[in-house]
Amino acid sequence: MPPDTPDWFHEIDHTGDIGIQVTAPTLPQLFERAALGMFRLLTDLDSVHTSESTQIAVDGRDLEALMVRWLSELNYRHTVDNVLYGTFEVDSIHETEDERVLSATVRGEAIDPDRHTVYTEIKAITFHGLDVHETDGGWAVQVIFDM
Amino acid sequence: MPDYDLEKLDDYRWQIPKTGGMRVPARLYATEAMLEDILSDDAPQQAANVAHMPGIVAASLAMPDIHWGYGFPIGGVAAFDPDDGVISPGGVGYDINCGVRLMSSTLTKEALDRRDTERLVDALFRRVPTGVGASGALRVDPSTLPQVLRNGAEWAVGKGYGSDADLDVIEEGGQVDGADPDAVSARAKERGLDQIGTLGSGNHFLEVGYVSEIYDDEAARVMGLHEGHVTAIIHSGSRGFGYQVCDDALSDMDKAMNKYNIELPDRQLACTPIDSPEGQKYIRGMRCAINYAFANRQVMAHNTRLAFEEALDVPPREHGLQTVYEVAHNIAKFETHRVNGHEQEVCVHRKGATRALPAGHPLVPGRYQHVGQPVLIPGDMGRYSYVLVGTETALDETFGSTCHGAGRKMSRRRARKTAGNRNVTAELANEGIIVRGESRRTVTEEISEAYKDVADVVEAVEGAGLSKKVAQLRPLGVIKG
Repeated sequence: MPPDTPDWFHEIDHTGDIGIQVTAPTLPQLFERAALGMFRLLTDLDSVHTSESTQIAVDGRDLEALMVRWLSELNYRHTVDNVLYGTFEVDSIHETEDERVLSATVRGEAIDPDRHTVYTEIKAITFHGLDVHETDGGWAVQVIFDM
Repeated sequence: MPDYDLEKLDDYRWQIPKTGGMRVPARLYATEAMLEDILSDDAPQQAANVAHMPGIVAASLAMPDIHWGYGFPIGGVAAFDPDDGVISPGGVGYDINCGVRLMSSTLTKEALDRRDTERLVDALFRRVPTGVGASGALRVDPSTLPQVLRNGAEWAVGKGYGSDADLDVIEEGGQVDGADPDAVSARAKERGLDQIGTLGSGNHFLEVGYVSEIYDDEAARVMGLHEGHVTAIIHSGSRGFGYQVCDDALSDMDKAMNKYNIELPDRQLACTPIDSPEGQKYIRGMRCAINYAFANRQVMAHNTRLAFEEALDVPPREHGLQTVYEVAHNIAKFETHRVNGHEQEVCVHRKGATRALPAGHPLVPGRYQHVGQPVLIPGDMGRYSYVLVGTETALDETFGSTCHGAGRKMSRRRARKTAGNRNVTAELANEGIIVRGESRRTVTEEISEAYKDVADVVEAVEGAGLSKKVAQLRPLGVIKG
């Protein structure tokens, strides 16, 4: 673990795949930190300029599905549009009768092979052992990625 | 501590009896020596979880290379009744139709000196894009992609990548029917446009090696495997296209599970009845991904031949690279098997497991009818791989399935820590193995020590009678992601 690892982030070291455990004082921050945690696995975040911003909206039937859709959306854009993101701001999480909708502004830039190293490929964000839950101090989640 | 009992059936078979919500028992194939490793993670519990799924028949099976996966374990096999059973994208995996092709050459190891091997590996590295998001070997336009998705390796051969002789020795002939491009999202299609002919990252590889030992003379002769002769192995799948098909289907099924009153111990096991709209949509889309992977490996096989011609300056007849066989190890298919003494159609899910049919089975290609279907079991990049054949025992007990590889024993981070500042590429070069990787990190994560010894896995499947050894292959050069 690099020395600058924040105390809200823990990488789960599993034989085949990789997971992260993230905590945050609020639910929107939990989603922001989970995204930061995922991009920490992909690259050195210090190398990413946050010059371009993009609006993102995803929905899910509960918080777990919302987390999978959110991270999957970011990973899809990273893969297909060849971008890296460095900052994440969740603008709102709305709850309707049968779904939750998250809106966010994310910032990053196109991948430049001279400045960026992409360490690995995340094939997918899994539901395995996924549990978004409240803790004494806020919120916590564990996410397992298929690498 | 695990909350299940493990009964010993014989030296190679273990069983978790049916308890609680399990509909069938879970059966594990392994030697006693392998058990400690296997029981150290949750994989056997995952095999027991699979036994809860509606319509599962006979048993939830785990091959000796079983290890923890999300939902289904890697190395899992489960068959479902087509009338009251389910289909589960997690039982196939994200990399739909990940598989292995073996090619044999008439060149001998002695004919390649060190510089030849280096030139060959460099040529492969140029012609077969590797690494994260690799693209660019071949780009198809959106109007052509549906042809790839319907016709698989046949499409590639029709475009001049290889020949009909390749198709004869690919599982399913390199093409499955029932693929419907309209069942696939625009996102999956977008991801599919520029990744045909690319290897990808992680444990995918293309390896040039040689036949180091033969155990079954007749089977090896029929396969064109002669001691000292050069071989090539290609391990890859359906790339981003397949990941997206799986992701989309899991999302659909996660929403639909309540409708079908399916309750399972793990949400990643999401499934719906085979004949539900969601199940049928996934099957049609999965078949597109199966064909995509067949086309992908066919194009890479063709480019492997071109790399031999370029690097060694030989015409095709002098390298004589022909396909021995190609297996799929992440797939769901409708097959006919004996269940409780009766022949019936079942939907077999193999996630990190290989089909292994015996001699005489109608799905075994003509030239292998009297020896059995070849099974390719790659090991790590520093040791060896095996060629096996399927058996009657596999057909009777495991829906004609066997293991698929070595399986990791170290996490990627622990592998990097173990390797420290070692120059893995230089170490392997000292042993005569030339490695080219898109990233030094991947090469480090894939060190031999990070994997179990594939010989142990092969010993277990042979001991259980699920497959028979034919030959061992050792590496000369490897390209990695």
